[in-house]
Amino acid sequence: MTPLALFLWALNMAVDTGGQLSFKAAASQGVELSPLRHWKFMFLRPWIWLGVCCYAGEFFVWLAFLSQVPLSSGIMLGSINIVVIMLAGRLLFKEKLTSWRVAGILLITLGVALVGLGE
Amino acid sequence: MKRFYIIGFLTLMAFDTLAQISFKYTAMDAEPLTFDAAWFLRILGNPWVYGALCGYLGAFVIWMSLLRHAPVGPSFAASHLELVSVAFFSVWLFNEPLTVPKIAGGLLILLGVLCLAKGEEKEKVADASVPSCSGASPQPPL
Repeated sequence: MTPLALFLWALNMAVDTGGQLSFKAAASQGVELSPLRHWKFMFLRPWIWLGVCCYAGEFFVWLAFLSQVPLSSGIMLGSINIVVIMLAGRLLFKEKLTSWRVAGILLITLGVALVGLGE
Repeated sequence: MKRFYIIGFLTLMAFDTLAQISFKYTAMDAEPLTFDAAWFLRILGNPWVYGALCGYLGAFVIWMSLLRHAPVGPSFAASHLELVSVAFFSVWLFNEPLTVPKIAGGLLILLGVLCLAKGEEKEKVADASVPSCSGASPQPPL
């Protein structure tokens, strides 16, 4: 991979993780409210909007990334986002890392590394 | 019910694949990658970018309706099968080479996704206070 492709890959990882975590943060506040009030509650707080901005950014970052790498490699390299989001969920939302999840994380990381080194 | 799942996941896969193929066509047509206003205009003026949007939108709707019925673990795994279909179309449409590291790496990623799905299923089963309404639970009802 060229330095630019590597940079875009890392940037995609950052905005995707940022988006997912923002949506998680948005969704986990005010859960005691009724569905309609919960949506209103979420729209009045920054988290959901941060998530939307991250996703809009990701759209263009992904386009830029795909103009640098073959699509088949791109889709495989992008799988690392699953791993990063899971680790971030562990750090920020105290989500459990079961042995199945650790195994999945290791296998996906290894697979992404293999594809990346082959590029 | 089984047919409902199979058709559902194939549709999801089709939308995801459509989105990625459209992304690639848009990216190629919008080159050179200049990160300026002209690049954005080339993207927005390209019909393929709307294919990508449709693919995303369709996948989102199908995914949400599938999750209402299907257990999350197997759904998660099935939703990542797009890896296979996208790789297939990449070779066919864009003449991308399928190298050994790519095949081996792709298989490891798929195996990893299966592990994560298995983990979610286990989690569901362990949480006995929430009975599964999907009927697809691996545990017989007590």
